[in-house]
Amino acid sequence: MELGRLTPIIFTLASRNLFHDRIRLVATLVGIVFSVVLFTVQLGLFLGFERMITTMIDHASADLWIAPADTKGFEATALLEGRERFRALAVPGVADVTPVVIGFTFWRKPNGKSQTPVFLIGTTPGGLQPWNLIEGNLSDLSTPQAVAVDRSYFDRLGVAEIGDYGEIGDKKARVAAVTKGIRSFTTTPYVFMPLDRARAYLGLPSASATYFLVRIAPGASVNEVRQRLQAALPNLEVITSDEFRRRSRSYWLFGTGAGAALFGSALLGIAVGTVIVAQTLYSSTKDHLSEFATLRAMGSSRRYLYLTILWQALLTAIIGFAIAAAASLGLARLTAESALPIVMTPGLIAGLFVLTVAMSIVSAISAIVVVTRVDPVTVLAR
Amino acid sequence: MTGLVIDATNVVKYLGSGAGRVAAVRGVSLSLTGGQLVLLMGPSGSGKTTLLSMLGCMLTPTSGTVRILGRATAGLLPERLADLRRRHVGFIFQNYHLFPTLTAAENVRLALEMSGEHPWRAHAKAVKALETVGLAHKVRVFPRELSSGEQQRVAIARAIVANPAVVLADEPTAALDSANGHAIMTLLAKIAKDPSRAVLIVTHDPRVLPFADRVLNIEDGRLVDKLPQAKPE
Repeated sequence: MELGRLTPIIFTLASRNLFHDRIRLVATLVGIVFSVVLFTVQLGLFLGFERMITTMIDHASADLWIAPADTKGFEATALLEGRERFRALAVPGVADVTPVVIGFTFWRKPNGKSQTPVFLIGTTPGGLQPWNLIEGNLSDLSTPQAVAVDRSYFDRLGVAEIGDYGEIGDKKARVAAVTKGIRSFTTTPYVFMPLDRARAYLGLPSASATYFLVRIAPGASVNEVRQRLQAALPNLEVITSDEFRRRSRSYWLFGTGAGAALFGSALLGIAVGTVIVAQTLYSSTKDHLSEFATLRAMGSSRRYLYLTILWQALLTAIIGFAIAAAASLGLARLTAESALPIVMTPGLIAGLFVLTVAMSIVSAISAIVVVTRVDPVTVLAR
Repeated sequence: MTGLVIDATNVVKYLGSGAGRVAAVRGVSLSLTGGQLVLLMGPSGSGKTTLLSMLGCMLTPTSGTVRILGRATAGLLPERLADLRRRHVGFIFQNYHLFPTLTAAENVRLALEMSGEHPWRAHAKAVKALETVGLAHKVRVFPRELSSGEQQRVAIARAIVANPAVVLADEPTAALDSANGHAIMTLLAKIAKDPSRAVLIVTHDPRVLPFADRVLNIEDGRLVDKLPQAKPE
């Protein structure tokens, strides 16, 4: 049996009308693809940005963070004196408190002529140690001058392999371990090292820390321990990892305007796409007005006419989305190793599909308004 | 069984508004019964199309009544009028008004599927209707590949496929040469033989007179001659 005999004729009519005028179809699809890809890229960048912002918090072994008051994000560099650690360890329910030191400084390249800013992270085992190691291992960091850096920053740091040297301040630093994919949204390379070495490179007092990572004892309540810690350290902040992530995202994405810019571009993409699709559906409907008048003269309900237009819009959306999704996935793959990758998640793709369909349906409104006014008597006059 | 299909009583229709308001139809009364082919003839501007629009439930009268199978159309909302057209009226238009992107069978199916007929059953009925008009071999052909006469046959198949009580044709032979016009009228006369169906044809074309069971003449919105004219033997 032919498939066409089972397909409702309304779908056949809508799709044939759509494919009949190929130039208009191409124009419509270009509009949708442009719009959806722009939206996807902006949202993908947003997701990538969001992930990078919280990557250190995500990889830290902490149930709670003890941070200086008013800490806005992970990169804040206010200091804790160090004695807070002992007060925290004395709080019931606290199993361990690990100091972390962070700070911006400069890395002088091996040629000695140029330098680049770097972001140091120093901690003890069980704190915030490098992950995704592709060369060397964590124990190598305990050797003198050893640091871990990401392969993607080799050029920036002027190194090519394990064993190469640079200088931080006036101290030598030797690449002893290499990670893959630990990139900073500030584009400043992360350099991992043991806690005391970081303090020395940054010129910080020996007991100082930027954060204390708190692990709670098995069976203890995070909230209760948090309240007790906050009571014991009234001048500091005690926050969960989730809260720290939200705070970091909020600061970098919205406090700086970066997120608003990305969202603004995404919305612009949708607006442009909606206008283009609306315009082409409108002109297509105008061109086929005599057909709609004929349908109406034959006794078609308005609902049937609307369904014809909506199906046309839906079909356009599906084709446009398929092309746009493929293009966006290609872009995501191309940027996967870049400083700011476009992240595509199944949720984002599903959301984009819904958005594309919604955009096309909204675009169909102008065409529907035209059809609502169609007069069947005009068929007799022609 | 022959029965009353359309009954119009003292129908008046004004078109336009204000100073441009004109009486297109002025007090027309007529009835159409099944099994008859009726011609509505008259000069341009005489009110033929307006009367056809009211008999076909596209317009409602300003005053008077039009009943189709006993149901009055006055005061009905556009959706109810469309419902009456879909159920009871088959239209044949001067320029066929086929859908260029649909095949002959698909054009005919459309009339059924908008009434909710299943696509597969609609296709079977469409093929049968095309057989009735002599186009069984053109089922998968698009309108652009058909001659004018064949296109009008497809339009006739579309008009009759849902088995309407009345078929209204607007100048069905105007765009055809005499041979095709004759063939189309022969087909319409055959369709009109069904006692449950009335066929009304609006025309200028005197060549179709021999096919009529009855001729109605309209001038200035009034029927001026309703005397039945016998078909030549």
